[in-house]
This record gives sequence, structure tokens and C-alpha cells, in this order.
Amino acid sequence: MKYLPLILAGLWRRPARTIFTFLSIVVALILFGILSAIDGGLAHQLDAARVDRLIVDTKFGTQLPLAYLDQIARLDGVTVVAPRQILVGYYQDPKVPFGIIMTDRRFFGVRPELNATKDQIDTLLKTRTGALITVFAAKRFGWKVGDKVPVISNTIRRDGGHTWTFDIVGIIDDVDRPGKARYFISNYDYMDQERVSDKGTIDRILVRIKDPRRATQTGREIDALFANSAAPTRTISEKSDRQAGGISSIGDVGFFTRAVVSAVLFMLLFLTGNTMMQSVRERRGEFAVLKTLGYSDRTVLALVLAEALILCALAAAAGLVIAKAGVPLIGTVSPDLGQLLLMPWSALLTGLGFALAVALAAGLIPALKAQRISIIEALRP
Amino acid sequence: MRPLLAVTWMSLRTVPSRWGSSLVVVVGMACAVGALVSILSMSAGFLRTMAATGSPSRAIVMSDGALGEWGSTIAHDEATILSDMPGVARDGAHKPVVSADYFAYTAVSKKSDRQDSYVDVRGVSLQDPGLRPEIKLINGRWFHPGHYEIVVGKSAQDQFEGLKVGDHIALPSGDWLVTGTFESNGSANESEMITDVSTLLSAMRTSAYNSMTVRLTSPAAFTTFKNAITTRPGPALEISRESDFYAQQSKSFDDFLKTIAYVVGGIMGLGATFGALNTVYSAIAARAREIATLRAIGFGGATVMVSVMSEALLFCLIGAGLGVLFAWALFNGYQHAMGGLVIRLAVTPALAATGIGFALALGAIGGVFPAARAARMPIVDALRAV
Repeated sequence: MKYLPLILAGLWRRPARTIFTFLSIVVALILFGILSAIDGGLAHQLDAARVDRLIVDTKFGTQLPLAYLDQIARLDGVTVVAPRQILVGYYQDPKVPFGIIMTDRRFFGVRPELNATKDQIDTLLKTRTGALITVFAAKRFGWKVGDKVPVISNTIRRDGGHTWTFDIVGIIDDVDRPGKARYFISNYDYMDQERVSDKGTIDRILVRIKDPRRATQTGREIDALFANSAAPTRTISEKSDRQAGGISSIGDVGFFTRAVVSAVLFMLLFLTGNTMMQSVRERRGEFAVLKTLGYSDRTVLALVLAEALILCALAAAAGLVIAKAGVPLIGTVSPDLGQLLLMPWSALLTGLGFALAVALAAGLIPALKAQRISIIEALRP
Repeated sequence: MRPLLAVTWMSLRTVPSRWGSSLVVVVGMACAVGALVSILSMSAGFLRTMAATGSPSRAIVMSDGALGEWGSTIAHDEATILSDMPGVARDGAHKPVVSADYFAYTAVSKKSDRQDSYVDVRGVSLQDPGLRPEIKLINGRWFHPGHYEIVVGKSAQDQFEGLKVGDHIALPSGDWLVTGTFESNGSANESEMITDVSTLLSAMRTSAYNSMTVRLTSPAAFTTFKNAITTRPGPALEISRESDFYAQQSKSFDDFLKTIAYVVGGIMGLGATFGALNTVYSAIAARAREIATLRAIGFGGATVMVSVMSEALLFCLIGAGLGVLFAWALFNGYQHAMGGLVIRLAVTPALAATGIGFALALGAIGGVFPAARAARMPIVDALRAV
């Protein structure tokens, strides 16, 4: 500890150089933070997937008849079965299409993570055009309870129109992913009575089972029920459904973030190494004086390493804190992007670890150089 | 001009004594440009695929408000009326060159990571080369209408399991035999499978099509065709020129890719710029005596400034070149499946220019402040400090 002033003085010998190096590391760690937020957001969505839930989709693109619900409900171990039909449309901006979940009371039984109260669900079911939306959707589109929301959809109504009007009757949230889940839920009956084609069909069935260990088995049983029908099904776990959707459909997100992070660390290694090298070269005389005063070679080595470590640790901490505080702010600029990002606390530790590793690697050669400085040679005029 | 070149050359000759710090600029820029160009190569490959899919001399008809072919429905009799519209090209036998398409899909697993993806099965009413001449059979034979047979796009075959000629694919009403492979200029169709629409419709026990594609008598005939449809009685339809349709379909995803590329590349570039600032400042500190001497014997401040700047820019250029080369070596031509769509990443000359321009812009920012300082350096002080 008593060497701290000496270390700081060494760092501050050329303020400009130290500040620029510091800023590079800060910026690099901000990028690291953002990238881990992409990974983290994805991982969080997967973690929130429940193992007691199965998703029954169409195997080849046909609609599924409503009658499937009862057949699945009769299977052993199935506790709740809910219909789902997505109504795709947009509100004001055609470039931002979204899906409205047309379902009934059973949906909330399959998704207990939605905190809709019994009153809210009752009101939804009583109001034909009613809709429950999540906090995220309310904020994203600026809706509140009591609003009438016209949604333009490609699904034609009986009267030939494309506008579906919804009354927002309540705002709910997903307790697993508070403020991040986008749900817009309305009544299946409303849609089915108003649409002209595909009546009495749905595009997905959500199933909840008693024993998660029997998930694969139950999935097979469900698919076997309809294998020879006009509309075969394909049952998957919620986790594989989420894996296939979202930003992971771009490709291997993990590979991408790892590649960028490696490039960033490589760049930092050179940057910090160069700074330390220059610093040591300029201070040969000073180190020689220190040694004359009785500092051992090993202490000098430690001093240089400590400089690199302190510089990297401080800069990394600053960058990581900025990233941690800043990632939620991305959501205020672009809610759609913000919804996908979540920087885990563990990323702070990982980032700091990387920065310290870079400091050690980059500081080692200059530190060895400082250790080997010979007093006589360095002090010779 | 001559003194400028002389001074620049002189300053470059001192580089070997400081190559360690110059390397920082090269490595920093190489990393930033490499990241930028690699991500942009995904966007370039995606746009190339989409552009190869749409032709200005074809029009695509979907139901009103449909956000894509999947969400659209075209009734059977509607399709017949549409093929008789003015503006539709006709073949030698005076038959309209059109195809009413219907989609199904089937789950396949990716060869690389065994993840499931859905691949589109497109039912077409015509395999007349007049409509989509870019689709060419490269292996096996075409499907026979009425049989459960199918041909597979080359990209889909490369990326996914079980799509070889002779394989059977699970589709409604039993297994379908793969009879051939087709190529299509690297278009999005290469990620699809194609079969006869009537056979597919009856297997799926339905009758309506999803979309209708027509060849126009000329690209200019689009207006005639569109007007004829909008003024006819019957349900409203959405008519797009095929090239516009695919350009519009790709826009929002492409914007997303480009945003990521510039955010990631920009942040890395900022870090690299700080590194460059460091390097250039230390370069002028090392050369203080030399610069002061130059000024003392009559070289102007601007000359010194340009010589310092050009050194910074040169290293950025080398770094950018390495970054582009790296991205090209790693990713150019690399096949990548995004869901069911297979694209080929492309590091194009335009991307190389973007990367180099990006690095030079950053180099200019990183070089201008130290260069201005070098130009303003008080001569006497610098010489006295010796």
C-alpha cells in the first residue's frame, strides 16, 4: 500500500498518454458490456422458458382445428390446454407489425407468469373486443386502460374491412421478465366470429403438463394423435421454440460476440502494452535511481505490473459501470432493441477478469525490462 | 509540393525507430475495420440474395394488407382471372406466363449444429423456364405433377440434413421423394423446395393459393397490369413489382444488421482512435527536435502538419487493409443459415472501400490534433530542450 503514491505518480507522468489509454479501455469494456447484454438477454429468455410447457405447432403449415384441444386435454398428465391464434397487424406504423394473441381464459392457466388478476381476466372475457397488454406494450405504443386501439391487419373481417378495434381493459406484466415481455392478449371468439376464412381453427396449442420429465413422451403422444390427419402437429418444448425464434435466428450469436470480444481484447493488449513499454523506456533513469535507493529488482517489476493493473482495473470498472447503467437506457431510445438486452451482474466480473488478464499480459514484458535495468548503464550520462 | 513530399518522406523514414507504437494503430484499425466489414458482409450477402430473387419484369400479387407471401390468400378463380389481365406475357402457345404459388413448410435440422429450422416448400403451377429462367436443374430430374415428388434448392441441400436426391421428406400424406437439385443465381429460392402446386394443395387438403407471380410483357407493363387489377371488380389485392417487393422485405432486417455493424465497428474504432492519438502524440514528442529544426530552416507549419497527418493516415490505411483482408479470408463466400434462409456472406469491393474510408476518417480525427500541436510547437523551446 505504501507504494501507491509512487505507482500513481508513475501513471501520471504523462497524463495525456494515460488518459488516452484509459479511454480506449473504457470504450472497449463498454462494448464488452453491450455484447454480454445481447448474450444475457438471450440466455434470460431461454431460462424463463418453463419445462412443464409444450408447444404444439402445425407440422407443415396448415391451421389446427379447435377440436384438437379436447383430444390433447384427455391425454394422461396434461393439466391445461390453451388455444392460440395470432392476429398480425400494425398500429399506425406499417413498419412495426406485431402479433395479437387471440385466446381464452385457459391461456392464463398455461402462463402463470402473467400476473393478470381474476378481475382483469373476467373483464377481458366479458368485453368482446377487450385486450390485456403488458407494461412493455403499453409503454412502447403509449396506450393506457380505456384506450380504443385500431389495428390494421391482413386478416379480413366479415364487413370486408381490415381494421380490428380493441379496448384496453388492463395492463399486466410477465413476472419472469418484468418490463421486457411483449404481450397483447384478446378474445379468440371476437376474432373467430369476425373473420371470414379459417374459422374454427388455431395456429398453435399451448400445453401444460404435470411432470416435466415426461415432456418428450407427452410430445410424442400428442403428435401421434394427429399424425394421419389433415393437419399433423409438431410438438416442441418451449425452450427449443425460443431458441429457434428471436435474434438467435440470425445465426450463432454466441460465436459472433466471442469473435468481437477476442478482437477487442487483442487490440487492448497492444494498446496497453505499448503504453507501458513507452513509459518504462522513458523512465529508465528513474528506475535506476529507485534501485540505487535499495529497491529490489523484484519490487521494480511489481511496481510496473501494478501500474498496468491499476490502469486497466480502473478503466475497466468505469467502462463496465457505464455499460451496466447505459444498457437499460438503450430501451428508452429503441424499445424493440432494449427488450432484447440484459446485462447480467456476472458480466461485470468477467469483464474485470479480462481486463486484469490483459494488464498482466501487456505489462509483463515492460516489467521484465524494468527489472533488468542495470544501474550503471542507465545512469551513465 | 516538393518540400511537402520531402518532409513526409523524411518523417516516414524515422518510423522504424518507433515501429512498436505504430503497430498499435495498425492493430487497432485492423480489429475495428475487421469487425465492421465482417458484420457488413452479412448484410451484403443478404441483400445480394434478396436482389437476385426479385426481377423488375415480374409482378407478385398478394391479398390486400398481406405482410408477405405467407399471410396472403388468392382464391382459385381469382388466379384464373389474374392470368388474363393485360400486361401479362404469353408464351409461344399463347398461354399466360404465370404461376400461382402455395406454401407449406417442413422442419429439417441444420448440418452444422443440429438446430431445427423450417424450410419452405413452394408449390408452383408452372415450371416454364419463361417465368423464372434463373431456376436451373443441376442434378436429377424435375418432379412429375401428381406424384409426391419434389426438387430441392442447392443452398438448402448444402445446409440441411436429409435433402439429397433420393431422400424422402416428411410432408402431408406421406413421404415425398427428392428427384432433383436446382440452382437459382444464389437467390432466396435456393433455400426452398419446389413441387407441383396442385399436388401440394390436394395433399394439404386445401384449395386457395398464397400468391401469384406473373411475367410482364415488359418492365414498363407493370402500370398497365396494376391498373387493370385495381379497377376490376372483386376483392382488393396488393400488386408489387417483384424487385420492389424483395427490396422492401429485406429493408428492416438489413437496417438492423447495419446498425449492429456500425455500433460495434464504431465503438471499436473509437478505442482505436484513442490509441492512434497516443501514438501520434508520442511520435511528435520523439521528433520534437527534428520538427523544430525543420521549422527553423523555413518549412511552414502546414507542411509539418501534413507530414504528421500522412503518417497517421498511412498506418490507418495499412490497418484497414489488413482488417479487410482478414474479413475476406474468413468470411467471403461463407454459407450462413438465418432460420430457413441461406445466404452467402460477401466481402465486396464496396465494403472494402467502406472499411478503408472508415479507418481514414478515424485516422484524420486521431491525427489532426497532434498534427496541429506539432505545427504550433514553439521552435525555440523545442530546440532548447535538447
